[in-house]
Amino acid sequence: MTRNTRLLGVGILLMLSVFMARPAAASTSRIYVTNSAGDTVTVVDPVTNKVVQTISGIEVPHGVNFSKDGKQVYISNESESVLDVVDQKSGKIVNKVPLSGHPNNIAVTKDGRNVVVCIATEPGSLDVVDIAAMKVVKIIPVKGPLHNVYVTPDGKFAVAGSVAGKRLTVVDLSTMQPVWDLAFDGGVRPMTFDTNADGSTNRIFVQLSNLHGFVVVDFAKHTEISRVMLPKGNFGKEEWRTGTPSHGIAVAPDGKTLWVNSILANAIFEYSLPDLNLLAHADLPVVERPGKAPSGAVPEWITFTPDNKTVYVSNSATRSMSAFDTQTLKKVAEITVGEVPKRINTLVLQ
Amino acid sequence: MNRWAVLSVVGSLVLMSQAAGLRVGAQTAGATVSQSSAVASASTEDPTLDYEFFKTRVEPIFLKKRPTHARCYVCHEEANHALKLAKLTPGNTVWTEEESKRNFETVSQLVNPGDVLGSTLLRHPLAPEAGGDAFHSGGRQFESQNDPDWKTLADWVRGQKIR
Repeated sequence: MTRNTRLLGVGILLMLSVFMARPAAASTSRIYVTNSAGDTVTVVDPVTNKVVQTISGIEVPHGVNFSKDGKQVYISNESESVLDVVDQKSGKIVNKVPLSGHPNNIAVTKDGRNVVVCIATEPGSLDVVDIAAMKVVKIIPVKGPLHNVYVTPDGKFAVAGSVAGKRLTVVDLSTMQPVWDLAFDGGVRPMTFDTNADGSTNRIFVQLSNLHGFVVVDFAKHTEISRVMLPKGNFGKEEWRTGTPSHGIAVAPDGKTLWVNSILANAIFEYSLPDLNLLAHADLPVVERPGKAPSGAVPEWITFTPDNKTVYVSNSATRSMSAFDTQTLKKVAEITVGEVPKRINTLVLQ
Repeated sequence: MNRWAVLSVVGSLVLMSQAAGLRVGAQTAGATVSQSSAVASASTEDPTLDYEFFKTRVEPIFLKKRPTHARCYVCHEEANHALKLAKLTPGNTVWTEEESKRNFETVSQLVNPGDVLGSTLLRHPLAPEAGGDAFHSGGRQFESQNDPDWKTLADWVRGQKIR
């Protein structure tokens, strides 16, 4: 074998290894979506934008989140008032944790030891599930039934919102005690956070019932500092959703942009951070109806691929998820999922 | 007044009293129910809502698990919706007579007798592509107007009865 032949062989091997490694390297995450009017959770590979798994047997699934090692999937089950624990690989339910009431959304503490669960029935509470013990170990009373809950990016606090109570409650996760709350003029819907340079929470962006926009809350001062209104739109009335004009808000993984759904404009809007200037928008699909004007997609939630390149929107009226390139705002896929998809979340595979 | 005029007035009174009796039957939920399960044709002129038809044909639809869909009952049990179904007595898989009567009263409010697509109960869970409302948070429970369960609901709205 001549030197040139050997070099050629090495080159071919290198090229082959690059091509073979590409899909494996890229397929390091999954997008999970709960089909809230069905009994399944759909799992999508963001490289192919194809459905790769369907978790079944969970009637009216609400929130979805993951264990720290990514091996277990946690799903709140509204029909049975339990937290379903699912094996990530097989998609099978391996445990059911009874809750103190009817659950809504969930969040996982940064150390992975606890899942906090919103209890949406009166008087409202935050259930704390110990994952090692597989049981509720604490019920934190709050003011009003809870809908969504988040763990702040620094892992120090849980922030829960009440629609009926029109209030958010901040819980110190080191003591599992509420430390402050803030009342609004509308029910608290989805929320997201931006951070200070040291990683601590800077602001909470809060969507409210009857507000076509979002509220900006100073986390340190516990006060509302401004409101940002979204561009107007003509959807929402036919869809019976004028009371929830904007649902779904998230800061991109790189922390540089804020993304907000609009049911009234049937679109997703991109804002710059930290200055909150409107940068761009993308239209969402419509529902074609015989003899009537098309109606909107009724967007519900937002998530991203970990590399920040793709943003996903769940569309509850079209049984789909829209995937957009975050740089160009061009749609890269419309993925058919289950009945009334709502909460979506990204799992990083390990 | 001649003989024919008298007969005509008497006949009209009989017909009116029968119609009134049917309406009262619907309102009092079950007062006019017979033991037979045979279905009578709907009267297009008098589409009153039949309690027995509701209890035996319509109510089971609310509890039925359709593939890929959640049951109506899961979201509408004592819910803050227009369709607020009675909570099943613990241990029961069907509603008691009292609960069914309560459901009949509630569900009747979502129906315009004789007008199928003018009835929220029929329009709201029907796929928008098939003539339904633009969005139902419980999804497209019925993909088309040919769905057998949707047709059962329509028969009830048209006034079909169990006799």
